[in-house]
Amino acid sequence: MHINYTGDLTGPQPYASFLNDSLGDASGSVLPLGHDYPAEFQHMVHAHWRGFRTPPIYHRAGIYIAFCVLMTLNIFGNGLVIWIFSTSKSLRTPSNLLILNLAVFDLFMASNMPHYLINATLGYIAGGEMGCDIYALNGGISGMGASITNAFIAFDRYKTISNPIDGRLSYGQILMCIIFTWLWATPFSVLPLFQIWGRYLPEGFLTTCTFDYLTNTDENRLFVRTIFVWSYAIPMTVIIVSYYKLFTHVRTHEQMLAEQAKKMNVKSLSANQNNDSMSVELKIAKAALIIYMLFVLAWTPYSVVALIGCFGEQQLITPFVSMLPMLACKSVSCLDPWVYATSHPKYRLELERRLPWLGIREKQTGTGATGGQESVASVSGDTLAMSVQN
Amino acid sequence: MVVSVKVFKKATPNGKVTFYLGRRDFIDHLDYCDPVDGVIVVEPEYLKNRKVFGQLATTYRYGREEDEVMGVKFSKELILSREQIVPMTNPNMEMTPMQEKLVRKLGANAHPFTFHFPPNSPSSVTLQQEGDDMGKPLGVEYTIRAYVADSEDDRQHKRSMVSLVIKKLQYAPLNRGQRLPSSLVSKGFTFSNGKISLEVTLDREIYYHGEKVAATVQVSNNSKKSVKSIKCFIVQHTEITMVNAQFSKHVAQLETKEGCPITPGANLTKTFYLIPLAANNKDRHGIALDGHLKDEDVNLASSTMVQEGKSTGDACGIVISYSVRIKLNCGTLGGEMQTDVPFKLLQPAPGTIEKKRSNAMKKMKSIEQHRNVKGYYQDDDDNIVFEDFAKMRMNNVNMAD
Repeated sequence: MHINYTGDLTGPQPYASFLNDSLGDASGSVLPLGHDYPAEFQHMVHAHWRGFRTPPIYHRAGIYIAFCVLMTLNIFGNGLVIWIFSTSKSLRTPSNLLILNLAVFDLFMASNMPHYLINATLGYIAGGEMGCDIYALNGGISGMGASITNAFIAFDRYKTISNPIDGRLSYGQILMCIIFTWLWATPFSVLPLFQIWGRYLPEGFLTTCTFDYLTNTDENRLFVRTIFVWSYAIPMTVIIVSYYKLFTHVRTHEQMLAEQAKKMNVKSLSANQNNDSMSVELKIAKAALIIYMLFVLAWTPYSVVALIGCFGEQQLITPFVSMLPMLACKSVSCLDPWVYATSHPKYRLELERRLPWLGIREKQTGTGATGGQESVASVSGDTLAMSVQN
Repeated sequence: MVVSVKVFKKATPNGKVTFYLGRRDFIDHLDYCDPVDGVIVVEPEYLKNRKVFGQLATTYRYGREEDEVMGVKFSKELILSREQIVPMTNPNMEMTPMQEKLVRKLGANAHPFTFHFPPNSPSSVTLQQEGDDMGKPLGVEYTIRAYVADSEDDRQHKRSMVSLVIKKLQYAPLNRGQRLPSSLVSKGFTFSNGKISLEVTLDREIYYHGEKVAATVQVSNNSKKSVKSIKCFIVQHTEITMVNAQFSKHVAQLETKEGCPITPGANLTKTFYLIPLAANNKDRHGIALDGHLKDEDVNLASSTMVQEGKSTGDACGIVISYSVRIKLNCGTLGGEMQTDVPFKLLQPAPGTIEKKRSNAMKKMKSIEQHRNVKGYYQDDDDNIVFEDFAKMRMNNVNMAD
């Protein structure tokens, strides 16, 4: 099944721009990227990368350190989410299963990071072709899975908020969604794995792997185009449409409630006793924007690099530039637990209870004013027989 | 003479301010609504120069708390009225007999207060949740609240705040109406001549909770199809105006083949009896109940009554209505025909015999509870009530038969 690309890879080096570089010329000691690759893995290096010099050590070190930090944050954040969400009864709702699923995908992405650290130390992909395939498969499944899970979370939120009485998705429906996210992530991770369509290649500093976006065949271009629509455009559309509809729904709903209050001559209409909190519309807009920006941050760099690689000026994609999208989507997998879970009041309460040393203080007045006050009413006995003497 | 009067009492967590209320159910008589009358006792040393403010608020909850995301709250609180209770702003306020009694009993630190429900305020309704749901119930709820502060808009502290859940209800008018609700429909069939006509008549327009609803069904079959079976439902229609949602739930049903099939040319007149009861709908999600306070037995939600000249479309909160639905099964090819006859399900008004009965029952229940909780000895007065209740229970059994 293996397609022989060697002719392509060892041919002339059209982008060996650095050879004309004065600095490179003078010293004569500049070596092309990939020169230190073990001989048996040389065939994996795309000709494009040979046109660049070996990156300076501080670039490698910087990304190495960034990965260490990201790995720690990712495992800590997502591990905490999985632990708390799967063991707390108060968090057991259908919608929260999606957040759990997202954390699983994100943690899955983190499983790549130790592999990267080994690669970066060695200077090549540990495990050769198979290592490369495993690395890229992990990244593909977790990345595409996370992006479609984001879309489902947006849709579920729209359903829940637009019809709070009986609109939320049931456990069965949510489970279907979760199965769907895994199925969604499968085809474009597995097809390149078996080199049926597309293939996995080392990229950047040649210490990471992803699908090949550099080969200029029609087949490969179509692959890049398809994966762009599949893992970027479709989820993005779902997210934008869901949050937009959610926002407009909340706005009309607030207006409707204000009308009702007017009928009763009531001016004060609040979700809790403190009127100083932001208006609901503003809160929604803010939260939706953050989630949207997160998605953009995660996947736009990859899409841009892939599209340039396939259709534009390949020369723009230096090894360093091609490392950035990977950093972006890895760092988003660390931010996800923050954005989705930590903004969840119940999760914060649970964290405060279980891990007091984290220093999380869930404001009772802000989020649970009515709750606190009502619980007083229902906890303590409030009837008492009293004799009144006439 | 010693008369035992039950009073609801609740204190702030720090014990310095205490609510006393003569009752927790307030009745909307359509033309006017019982005001919330009560007394607050506060220690003057604690108060110093601060004041006590009171609020009457209604809380709409239209979604589960656990589903709240992105800072959206599925509840809204409307402050219906606010007042300064201590020091009193209106020294000439007229006190109700209950307040007079309480003030006399509780001494100089007692301050009466009265809140009025604004017109159009909805009745208390609770939407039943599934068994294991621990969150706050959905529906319309009223709370009165008192807090100590320097000015009305000051921050309220939990320690010096007390709130009590109360109910706003509607009772049936004294006159139950003469009109018998009925509905007549007929259904023709494609490819065959003739029609089946169905007429349903109820024996009353207004029923009390626990009463039997009798629906007389008249079917005359002038078609070539035959009626295979008859289904009879009592449907509770719930309209949640806060989210523009509405749904219908069957709260009682039966299906019969007695007298069926009704062959072409045949007629059938039959009366169905159904009792819509909350007890038969336990743990069913979305069934509307009369706003319930934890320790009382609950009814299904009463039909929403509106003032004459207004439509239920103007009503706020949760609008409840009932109908009897009859479905005729005309076979696989004939399909189904159905009709709805609306009726009202309400609490008997005070003063009527039925009211006395159910009052006695409620009183009995709460006394029983007190005995269980406090374990104190019942005096003779209560024993009399107890016997009343036993009789009542027997009556109930007979009625159910």
